[in-house]
Amino acid sequence: MANSTLKSAALLDQMKLHLATDAGKDLVKKIGLVYQINIAPKKMGIDEESFVVDLKKGEVTKGPCEGKPDAAFSFQDDDFLKVATGKMNPQIAFMRGKMKVKGSLSAAQKFTPDIFPKPSKM
Amino acid sequence: MAMRELVTGGTSCPVPGSSSSSNPVAALAENLFGAASKTRDSVRELPGITRTGHPDASFYPGTDGQSALPGLEYYQQPGAQGSEFLHAYRADPAGFGGVWDEIQRPQLPPFAHPREIQGAPHLADLQIYDHGASSQLQPTLDGPPQRVLSSFLHSFVGSSRAGVPFRPVALPVLGLSEGDKQCIRDRSSIMARHFFADKSEDFINSQVNALLHSLEIDNDLRAKGHLPGRFHEFEEHWNESQGAVRAGPSHPSGRWAAEYNQQIVSRGDPESWARSFEQQHGSNGWATEFEQEQSQMISTGQMQGANNSNLAAMEQTRMLAHTLAQNDDPKFQNSKFLQFVSKMSRGELIIDDNQVKPAEASASGDWADEYQQKHYGIHNSWADQYARDEHSYGVDTWASEFATEQEKTGLVDDQWVNEFSKLHVQDWAEEFAQQVDEGAVGQNSADNWATAYDEYLNEQTAAKQRSDASRGVYVFSDMNPYVGHPNPLKEGKELFRKGLLSEAVLALEAEVLKNPENAEGWRLLGITHAENDDDQQAIASMMRAQEVDPANLEVLLALGVSHTNELEQAAAIRYLYRWLQHHPKYGHLASPEKSESLYYADVARLFNEAAQVSPEDSDVHIVLGVLYNLSREYDRAIESFQTALKLKPRDYSLWNKLGATQANSVQSADAILAYQQALDLKPNYVRAWANMGISFANQGLYEESIRYYVRALAMNPKADNAWQYLRISLSCASRNDMLDACDSRNIDFLQKEFPL
Repeated sequence: MANSTLKSAALLDQMKLHLATDAGKDLVKKIGLVYQINIAPKKMGIDEESFVVDLKKGEVTKGPCEGKPDAAFSFQDDDFLKVATGKMNPQIAFMRGKMKVKGSLSAAQKFTPDIFPKPSKM
Repeated sequence: MAMRELVTGGTSCPVPGSSSSSNPVAALAENLFGAASKTRDSVRELPGITRTGHPDASFYPGTDGQSALPGLEYYQQPGAQGSEFLHAYRADPAGFGGVWDEIQRPQLPPFAHPREIQGAPHLADLQIYDHGASSQLQPTLDGPPQRVLSSFLHSFVGSSRAGVPFRPVALPVLGLSEGDKQCIRDRSSIMARHFFADKSEDFINSQVNALLHSLEIDNDLRAKGHLPGRFHEFEEHWNESQGAVRAGPSHPSGRWAAEYNQQIVSRGDPESWARSFEQQHGSNGWATEFEQEQSQMISTGQMQGANNSNLAAMEQTRMLAHTLAQNDDPKFQNSKFLQFVSKMSRGELIIDDNQVKPAEASASGDWADEYQQKHYGIHNSWADQYARDEHSYGVDTWASEFATEQEKTGLVDDQWVNEFSKLHVQDWAEEFAQQVDEGAVGQNSADNWATAYDEYLNEQTAAKQRSDASRGVYVFSDMNPYVGHPNPLKEGKELFRKGLLSEAVLALEAEVLKNPENAEGWRLLGITHAENDDDQQAIASMMRAQEVDPANLEVLLALGVSHTNELEQAAAIRYLYRWLQHHPKYGHLASPEKSESLYYADVARLFNEAAQVSPEDSDVHIVLGVLYNLSREYDRAIESFQTALKLKPRDYSLWNKLGATQANSVQSADAILAYQQALDLKPNYVRAWANMGISFANQGLYEESIRYYVRALAMNPKADNAWQYLRISLSCASRNDMLDACDSRNIDFLQKEFPL
């Protein structure tokens, strides 16, 4: 993940560390689902990089999911950040076509901004 | 009463004679149809009823010199029940439903003579207008008569868009029948009133006359035939009441009524409607058109549960009901289809999962089936197209357009009404036809409307997006008390030193407004914004500073830091490299040709070299710390900042940098200690307060985080990030009761609830 130039990769890196903390472990207990997130630098579907946020095992890995994720999302880089930092509500992102969802809808509904750690600013 | 209320229903909008319906417009439509059979009976009983329509002069003996317009004639043909109408109108001026019933009555088509094209349907003749849909103003007027006519009419429409007077043109002989002429005359006068709603009556008349003259149609022919002199009194009263309604600014409904009346003149015989439509499109034309549309849409079913698609569907059915209101066929009025549509339009029936109870096979059974089949497609395709549009046009543009418009007028309701009246069925149909011609590029106003309305609903998000759209451009505050201050720079510095950051921003803005070339002013403004937790504005002001003074090291470092905060790696590396290039001590390390293709590793290596050259320079360590943040090597970054802090222990922003780095590497407890150091040195450091909140939130301590966010926001209510984070923390802490206060940015209330 460190070699990715996506902004989202920075956040997902932080997510990876976050899942090792107590707050992160609570997330695993609370949600217990596997999400795949496909992020495209400019246009959805083009040059996508896939990440797996495994809230069963508490891991974040690069590359597509080995099994079937509970839900898979597609974003454009900026839009993922907007959703993860609470700038954009996931429902609105979905309605506007800024977020595509595959898989279980109930799993997708648990994909909310509060599962992601917030980046601090220097 | 706002138009919105007429359509959507509302408490201030009671529907006379109908306690159940929540939608007055739909109720009106239903009144018209539902009451039709009753009305017809009473019409038969009335003596001396005049029938409208064909220029049958024997019906209209008195042709006095009044210059009536084709679009108005039906006001003047109330027949013998004129007095009854007046009575009803006086008795119940608000009861549009009743009035409309009355108005409608004389227009019932004479069953005995179905006419050919006189009442041709909107769609059909709009096809004429839009045939060859290109908006050139000067078409070539040759070819077969039909082609000539269509391009001629098109140029008329085009002239209306351009708002220029339409000039008569010599046309070849077109061989128009009486029916055609009448059709064109009616249509053009009605459409002209739509096009030139903002122009004077005289202008409209001259436009229409120019058109009709070219086509050798006698404008007054039919109008004269319709002027019964007997009903002076009625006419005066009508005009009076109409005038009164128009005069009242708060009566868009009156305008709507007038417009509706104008349009309804062109009511038609359903058979000719169908026939002419078939002529144009073949019997399956409608279906084909929709299928074509649909085939260009993405797959269905993606927008389940999306409210706006239901909304769009309801709007569409309303328009459909409106169109149908102009059809007088008794069979049609009683048909299931119509009931279905009016139920749809009132929202009583919602299509869910493509399941609607199938209508029984009747005369209109096919229609109903067709509609049901297609409707689901329509509502999805609306939604889909809406989603698609965003890609091509960018919702930001819409959002900002809509928001600016709103700001300008300040009267959303009025705008909505205007929008709606523009969206008259004719326009809609016209636009639809155009869209089909243009291959469904989605520029039609119906889509715009849906988009705009959705934007209105999501106004808050829209506003945020707008600020994103204006990225890189500095946005000045509206009301700045420091404009005109003798020395705003000094005042700004003083305020900054005192820690009154939001005030300092205003003073410094006044300075850079006065002296746009003052790099120091821009730089301080940028630093103030950064400390105030607004990186967008910080970047914008630092870029201005850099324009004026491209070699300023502090500016370059600040830009590097702000871009790092925004996770913009490439931009951050570029500025940090420039910092090295322009540094008097380390400039020789950087080779100028490299500045285009920068690799992170190279830049980091150069800074490490620089640190070896002069290990006592805290700035180099700071830049290294920022660089390691970019590569997410947080341990190294923390080390660099700690080294720098040994050299510069009183630098509060350095303590904050250390804290932020620790926080991002999930050492939240350490981070809070570092922030505390920063806040001891600078108590009004908004960024550090907000970072405190973030650290608590990341540890799952939401209650605490709320207090810190609120503290930061009390100092700078413009810190958007903190508002967003506060909202998340509130919902995580199950304080949904405070979400409203958060959404309305009621900081006083929040401060009382969450004191620190």
